Amino acid sequence: MSDDVTTTTVAESAGTHPAAAPVSNTRVTPAPAQSSRSKAVERTIGLLALLGTVATVWLGIWVTPPDKVQGDLVRLVYIHPGVAWVALYLAFGLAAVSSLLYLWPRTRSLLWDRLAAAAVEVGVVFNVCTLVSGSIWGRPTWGVWWAWDARLTSTAVLLVLFLGYLALRRVPAEPEVRARRSAFVALFAAVDIPIIHFSVNWWNTLHQGATVLNANLSPQIHGSMAWTLLLGFVALTLAFVWMLLVRYRIGVLEDWLGANELDLALAERQSEGAAPANGGSVAGGPVDGPSGDRVGVA
Amino acid sequence: MRYVTAGYVFILVVLAVYAVQLVWRRRRLSQAVDRVAGPFDQDRVAGPVAATAAGPRTEASA
Repeated sequence: MSDDVTTTTVAESAGTHPAAAPVSNTRVTPAPAQSSRSKAVERTIGLLALLGTVATVWLGIWVTPPDKVQGDLVRLVYIHPGVAWVALYLAFGLAAVSSLLYLWPRTRSLLWDRLAAAAVEVGVVFNVCTLVSGSIWGRPTWGVWWAWDARLTSTAVLLVLFLGYLALRRVPAEPEVRARRSAFVALFAAVDIPIIHFSVNWWNTLHQGATVLNANLSPQIHGSMAWTLLLGFVALTLAFVWMLLVRYRIGVLEDWLGANELDLALAERQSEGAAPANGGSVAGGPVDGPSGDRVGVA
Repeated sequence: MRYVTAGYVFILVVLAVYAVQLVWRRRRLSQAVDRVAGPFDQDRVAGPVAATAAGPRTEASA
């Protein structure tokens, strides 16, 4: 995530460009580059996540024995708590911490806002997987696809809150304004995380209590079942990290385009006026903006 | 067992589709950044030799 860039002017960076030279007050940052080391780390994490997921599926479906009570349905337990762990604790927890760091004056940086946005988007995907896989498990176990159980409901509420967070980020605003209000919403939504975690203790719920992180910290699962569950947690955590890195990079590129496309378009316009014989084609036509709009740079 | 299969298939398909979509979005944005920034970056790399070839510099670019 080392995408620090230094600011320069068009005239400095394009000092040799006869068309762009007159534009001395337009400030353009160099395009954010990704180091080869960071690419290698990203690829390694992605590969490990893929291998871990394949191994979890193989162990979970074909190797581990059926449960004495649940039968084959226990196989869903190797993957459902893993996606819930990523969504509720890692993704939304990270979003809350990043938002707090953004709001804290001494650590304020758009880096934290970008990290929070990336974590929430990935977290929403995992949250949907949590709810749907839980529902698929609940149908044969409880006899219903959905119950207004405390844990299910609070998890669904969290999904709605973070969908609202993502919708809020789409509202046009200056980056600092967007970051500030997004951070407040993320912190507000994060209040639901401890409610979800302790819901099985605070209320009588259909959802079972904690198997691993219970009050006595004594896991109620053993042998190959325990190792498969652990592997599922590790594999899905790696998948989350990989998605977070890629999504963060997307945020960096979107921010760069958002910050520079107007300056570059202005530079292009002015260079056209300064050197009409040149044809003035600097940027090479329209491009896709960060929100998918066509951005005219002609 | 069909519920188990459905659960695994749903999660794996959603995560795979999202991962592919992330890679596609990143590639598209990288290409957009390259198109927008490319000429300026190339000029910076070209250095003073290109400046001489480009003729007299204006006051703003000096």
